[in-house]
Amino acid sequence: MSAHQQSLQEATYSQNELHPARRERLVRHLHTNNRIAMVVLSLMTALVVIGFLFIIVYLLVQGFPYLLNPDFYSPNPNTEISILPELYNTFYMLVLSEIILIPVSLAAAIYLVEYARQGLLVTSIHLAAETLASVPAIVLGLFGYLVFSSLLGFGYSRLSGALTLLCLNLPFALRLFEEALTSVPRDLREGGLALGSTRWQVIRTVVLPSAIPGIVTGIVISAGKVLAESAALIFTAGTLSPRHPYNLDPLIGSDTLTIHIWYVQTIGAGSYSSADAPTAIAGGSAALLIIALLLVNIGARSIGHAIQRKVMST
Amino acid sequence: MLDTLTSRRRWGEAIIQNLFLLCAVLIVLVICGVFIFVGYNGLQLFTLDHTNAGTFFTSTNWNLDPTEGKVSYGALGYILGSIVTTVFAILIVTPLALGMAAFMTELCPKWLENILRPLLEIFTGMPSVVIGFLGLVVLVPWVGRLAAPIAPLAATAGYGWATASLVLVIMVLPTVVSISIDALRAVPASVREASLALGSTRWQTIRNAVIPAAKTGLATAILLGTGRAIGETFAVTMVLKAQNALPANVLTPGAFFQPNINVPLGIVSYFSEAPTPAAHAACIMLGFVLLIISFLFMCISRFLASKGVYK
Repeated sequence: MSAHQQSLQEATYSQNELHPARRERLVRHLHTNNRIAMVVLSLMTALVVIGFLFIIVYLLVQGFPYLLNPDFYSPNPNTEISILPELYNTFYMLVLSEIILIPVSLAAAIYLVEYARQGLLVTSIHLAAETLASVPAIVLGLFGYLVFSSLLGFGYSRLSGALTLLCLNLPFALRLFEEALTSVPRDLREGGLALGSTRWQVIRTVVLPSAIPGIVTGIVISAGKVLAESAALIFTAGTLSPRHPYNLDPLIGSDTLTIHIWYVQTIGAGSYSSADAPTAIAGGSAALLIIALLLVNIGARSIGHAIQRKVMST
Repeated sequence: MLDTLTSRRRWGEAIIQNLFLLCAVLIVLVICGVFIFVGYNGLQLFTLDHTNAGTFFTSTNWNLDPTEGKVSYGALGYILGSIVTTVFAILIVTPLALGMAAFMTELCPKWLENILRPLLEIFTGMPSVVIGFLGLVVLVPWVGRLAAPIAPLAATAGYGWATASLVLVIMVLPTVVSISIDALRAVPASVREASLALGSTRWQTIRNAVIPAAKTGLATAILLGTGRAIGETFAVTMVLKAQNALPANVLTPGAFFQPNINVPLGIVSYFSEAPTPAAHAACIMLGFVLLIISFLFMCISRFLASKGVYK
């Protein structure tokens, strides 16, 4: 054994056999560090949580008085603080984009989970979905303008807006639906196939009913994304409320609640006769959006389970 | 009889399968379309006005209207604005997000986690304009009062890069925390147990065992957050308070506390009323720059994620 190795061994030996006083100090030191770190981590979390709760409570409290004002929901077009047209448009766009989104993304998810073999195609579709999810909403807005508004000639319209929202939501809905389908156990499918059913029969009668809670959760979450979206819409659906908003015409341009908040706080701020109107509109609409988001988040899971209970019991 | 039934079924099956395949391929078409349309129309700038477009990445002089002096498409100011706000936001987000994720996975009791999770989910889907509005009514006056002494103009001290970075923190933090939590959750319990069994304290376990084991996942979380921060539009543009040029005193701390610019602001303020086709293309080119940057971040994060041990 060389002298170097011997000295190394002695060093480790003496390290293992710490003097009791030194060991005591080391242990105390480690425990103090541990306690400090735990306090710092808790404080960081507390800071974020208090900040987030403050934001929610602040937005609800400041917007509450505006929400109680009946003029806020007035159908009279001369009431400038009324957000009824925007509410109608938001709901219209939500329904229109979901009507296209649900079948398309559900079909894509079914293909990926039930039919496709692992390989180049599946990998490239997943890569495409991930890339699409990372595209900034404002860039998708430009894309929507170039393709739906200009190339296809829909102009600034509800249809262009809904199609852009479809592109935006497609990767998220696809992932949520895929999760819902993969959570259905294999045995159920195999049982169906063993009885001689075709794949589509198995999907329709076995897989989809069991996947309903996940699918409904996905629908509700994507609805929440539509409610929250704004940047993808200014160049596709426009920023102004139409003259006659309460109809089903998909080719008229219209603003949504989020666009309206942005409009009254920036470029449109000077066009109101009373100086309080922009704050009233934005404050009330922000509170309304927060309430809608709370409902979406609480509702997403409970609705899914309620539906499943109903489906399974019949 | 049975034969025709089977063959009809087989036909139906094939049609359905191809229909589903079409829907799945649609997503590939959309993303290719985004790159082709935005890229082609943006790069048109360099053919439509090639005498002035050469300075796109090198000049800070942005003037689209030929009636207001010499046309120039220098987007450097916008790009600088995006980089500065994103870097500052991520510098604040990273320690907060990692700390909170570590707290929620390693220390937090179950009941508290059941409260914090939905809170994070609500903020992940928070509308950008709502946070922008909050920034205008809460953060702008607050930052304005604090920064008034060093800002060039006390009245607008609350607007600019500083407030924009804070708004970005609120927008990005929930996403980064959620992905970090998933990354820490993916580390198997055996890693923690091994570390604790060797006599480590909880903090030693977190710092020396759990975080190193999850480091690719945590890096992915931060990169995805950065990509989101760069593309974030309305929350930021509302508190930047539209202006067309980078201020002259950009190298002083005061530059953070006056109305300023970033890439999405350039698109939002000029795209709708671009006076010439080249100006239109210049705005789309700004969008293409955003697209390329966020795509690069996505690629790096995907590459890192593929290197991770625990998924």
